[in-house]
Amino acid sequence: MASFFVRRLLLALAVLFAVSFGTFVFFATKFYPTCSGAGPPLVGSVPNAASAYFHWLRNVPSGGITRDPCGTDIGAQTWQSLGHTAALLGATALIVIVLSLVLGVIAAARAGSLLDLALRAFSYIAWAVPAFIVALVLQSVFNWAGNRSGFRPFATDGWPGQCALISGAFLKDCGVPGAPTPHAGTGLHYAVSLIRHLTLPALALALAFVGAHSRYLRSSLLVALNAPYTTTARAKGLPEHTVLLRHALRNSLATFSSVLLLDFGAIFGAALVVDYVFGLNGLGLLFLSDIQTASINPYAVQLLLTVTAALVIAAALLSEVIVAWLDPRTRLR
Amino acid sequence: MTTATSIEEQTLAAHQRGLLTVAARRFAREPLALAALTVVIALFIAGALAHVIAPRALYTINLSANVIHHAPELAGWHLFGTDWVGADMLQRTLYGIRTTEEVALTAALVATLIGVLVGALAGYYGGWLDALLMRVADLVTAYPAVVLTLVAIVYFREAYPHTLIIIFASIMWAVVARAVRAHVAGLREQEFVDAARALGASDARIIFRHLLPNASGTVLVAATSLIGQIILIDATVEFFDYGLPASVSPSLGNLVADVVQFKFGLSSDPAAVGLGWWTWFFPGLTLVLILVCINLVGDALDDALNPVAAHH
Repeated sequence: MASFFVRRLLLALAVLFAVSFGTFVFFATKFYPTCSGAGPPLVGSVPNAASAYFHWLRNVPSGGITRDPCGTDIGAQTWQSLGHTAALLGATALIVIVLSLVLGVIAAARAGSLLDLALRAFSYIAWAVPAFIVALVLQSVFNWAGNRSGFRPFATDGWPGQCALISGAFLKDCGVPGAPTPHAGTGLHYAVSLIRHLTLPALALALAFVGAHSRYLRSSLLVALNAPYTTTARAKGLPEHTVLLRHALRNSLATFSSVLLLDFGAIFGAALVVDYVFGLNGLGLLFLSDIQTASINPYAVQLLLTVTAALVIAAALLSEVIVAWLDPRTRLR
Repeated sequence: MTTATSIEEQTLAAHQRGLLTVAARRFAREPLALAALTVVIALFIAGALAHVIAPRALYTINLSANVIHHAPELAGWHLFGTDWVGADMLQRTLYGIRTTEEVALTAALVATLIGVLVGALAGYYGGWLDALLMRVADLVTAYPAVVLTLVAIVYFREAYPHTLIIIFASIMWAVVARAVRAHVAGLREQEFVDAARALGASDARIIFRHLLPNASGTVLVAATSLIGQIILIDATVEFFDYGLPASVSPSLGNLVADVVQFKFGLSSDPAAVGLGWWTWFFPGLTLVLILVCINLVGDALDDALNPVAAHH
């Protein structure tokens, strides 16, 4: 197990190295920061993009990559956006896991029923509707209902206490992009405000994946329910709900979690859209605001993309490790 | 007649009639899948014939007050309404389908061809070639496809349909390559490959005459899902206002994205135009319809090609 893990980890690091080199060359040879000074050297001042990359790489352990050649701190915004995206993904994961488990188990227990059919139709539609349409519809429905009734249980845009990094789009006018706003609250108030602001985006992001993953769980549960060990459990006289939840579901959870982690890249891509529609100042909005400016800062984009790739690669690695841990046969590959 | 015997009979029949013929018959017995396939093909044909169905020039604008930004109505056949310059939304949606299908179908075809070739080489030869090709596939998929597409569009500065096709093809081949590699690597160990080799068949003959025809089901399913994925990524990128400009080449994605420019009627700024729901609803509905139908077709194809797994 240990050697398998080390081998996979080294491979993942090699892939991360290669992609960060690729994006660096891509951006650094095309866009130049407008100043020079402290920090890693510019492409122009060293022989080629490759050596500029190795200068950049040398600054990774010390955290020097969080400053661009102008000396501007690009790290603070990146870490903050990472936090926002992590909160969004966490809330989404919670919704996806709870709803998929409940819907998947119900669909498997009542396979072939009208309810199963309805869930199947839901999952097809949820999976096919692009995240931006789901987000737009949720946002406009809650806006419309809020305007009609005056009752606004959830915020329809923004992160508590912050203006969006990109002005315009679907967001209420807020002033300076990225600037703090006074009414964030502290302590419990902040937590409540956070939940109010995260509910709709997380729901919009979760819907498609609830559709897909409840179907995966349903089919893997149906396989488990026909397995010999389930027959044994039934023969022992266990009640059906015990058979379903303690015997079949336990065995299906392994594939469920690994498939969910494998979907991380897709969830992350969809989070970009939801971030944009709801103005959450996560990695997605930061990325879009970074590339929308006329003078793209390659070091800011590079830091952002490296963090993104590291997350996706780590999720894939974690998924493989979970599978290998649960099913030793796959370690041989 | 039980399901099990019918599958056995079908498998027997498959040996006589060929995998795809049998799968096509199974597919034809699914009314929902057939309906979905009909809808997709009808929409794609309508898009391809956009210039015949809606021969008026694409940029026909009509700024007279009674035509501009009008809700759907029978008068003048503005069934989908008109936008803020008086252009007919039905017409724009048709041209939108055309752009979207042109990009998605071509990119999916190129990506499938590359993916089949790479997957077959990696799966058949194994060893260092397999490791090398699959690590390249890992590189391409290390970023979410939407992010990589945005990076590429920023790099090329301006997007045209052919730029998008190149971008999508060079990202999405990895998905097909993985599926084909897994299938071919499994087939390689089977007796019929040994038999072919014993008869003196060359590697190329084994790959193209024996392995790939057997993997055709996998390729077909992967290619179908690729079309859907590319349409979705394209629409998302266009929604961010990257990709093709709606005024020159309307696509389903950038027609929906027009709500960005016009603030969706949500802005507190009275100067901002609140755009009518019909300008984004009909292109959006078409987009969703195409994606739902492609997914239905893909799933039914998968079931038809792997009947045993489908009965779990």
